[in-house]
Amino acid sequence: MEYFKKMKGATTSPPRVALIEMLWSWFGAFAGISLVAYIHYDLFKGTDFVMIIGSFGASAVLIYGAIRSPLAQPRNLIGGHVISALIGVTAYKLLPDQMWLASSLAVATAIFAMHATKTLHPPGGATALIAVTGSQQIHELGYFYVIMPAAIGAVFLLIVALLINNIPKNRKYPEYWL
Amino acid sequence: MTINATCQFPGAFSSIDLSDADVLEAMTSIQGYIDITPKDFKEIYRIAFRHAIDRLSKSMTAEQIMTRNVISVGPDTDLIQTARLMSNAGISGVPVIGNDQRVIGVISEKDFLRRMGGGGSDSFMGVIAHCLSSKGCVALPIQGKTAKDIMAAPAITASLHFSISDLSRMLKDNNINRLPIVSDDGRLVGIVSRGDIVNSYCARIF
Repeated sequence: MEYFKKMKGATTSPPRVALIEMLWSWFGAFAGISLVAYIHYDLFKGTDFVMIIGSFGASAVLIYGAIRSPLAQPRNLIGGHVISALIGVTAYKLLPDQMWLASSLAVATAIFAMHATKTLHPPGGATALIAVTGSQQIHELGYFYVIMPAAIGAVFLLIVALLINNIPKNRKYPEYWL
Repeated sequence: MTINATCQFPGAFSSIDLSDADVLEAMTSIQGYIDITPKDFKEIYRIAFRHAIDRLSKSMTAEQIMTRNVISVGPDTDLIQTARLMSNAGISGVPVIGNDQRVIGVISEKDFLRRMGGGGSDSFMGVIAHCLSSKGCVALPIQGKTAKDIMAAPAITASLHFSISDLSRMLKDNNINRLPIVSDDGRLVGIVSRGDIVNSYCARIF
């Protein structure tokens, strides 16, 4: 019975943020994603380089929309993407013919590793999964996927977060670096 | 002088009642999305507060809160003099010390009252009741006696390094109101009363 009671929930949701917070979140995300998307679609046009992956959309939610969260801090952003990318690429290389297993191993192991390294960053799970389920172009990157897009892309997002999140007087980023 | 022996320290502080509304209001007053639920916040707060109380009560020792100029009597001090001393100083108990400054007992108001023919009662009101129901007053049984005759012995004492929580527990467990503090070689160096503990909390926490 206790087991089912737990499913009822026990508390309320956090309050809605002020409109100004929504606007700054919008602006940060717009600038950050613009930067990596522009590099990907325009500067890298005609090359095999990749600068944007889906998980950056999720990172943007955190580092522009929930900037106080431990999940959104630089350590978690960079560490989470890099470690998860490494695990994702490894999972695909080991089990290219067992896609279901490579996918689940990649994500589950990424979460484990992020916890262990205190770099939990939810978009990291997507970065690991994309390394397995991604396109031919992603697969051909091999371990370079860890450096770009994962590491370099995350650094670009971080730079924008530092520049934008510190403009308003009562917004401050990051809470900590390491 | 019966004191409610329930020592609510330090648990009493852990029950500070924050409502979800208090927490939500605080969260609203801080700009930015705080990704914690009110329930988790309260849980962290409750545990952290408990730790803070523990830390404070462990960080303060008998040496820091004790009264140093202790009024004491010798074993052969007569009870008239002892009672005058306590009355003049406005205190309700004194340690009894031997020639070597070692504490051999403690005398409190209770020890007087218990022997004043109050029908075994150790409360002042018990003595009053006894007085009113019999004839004359009742100090006669202890006339001519000295400190060693009525003192509580052996004395319960504490060392300089005992923390406030140690001292509180000793006061509560032994149902006493003061603890002579002795140095490592057993000599009297101070005294901590229940009041000293209350005062130290006022100074440090509130």
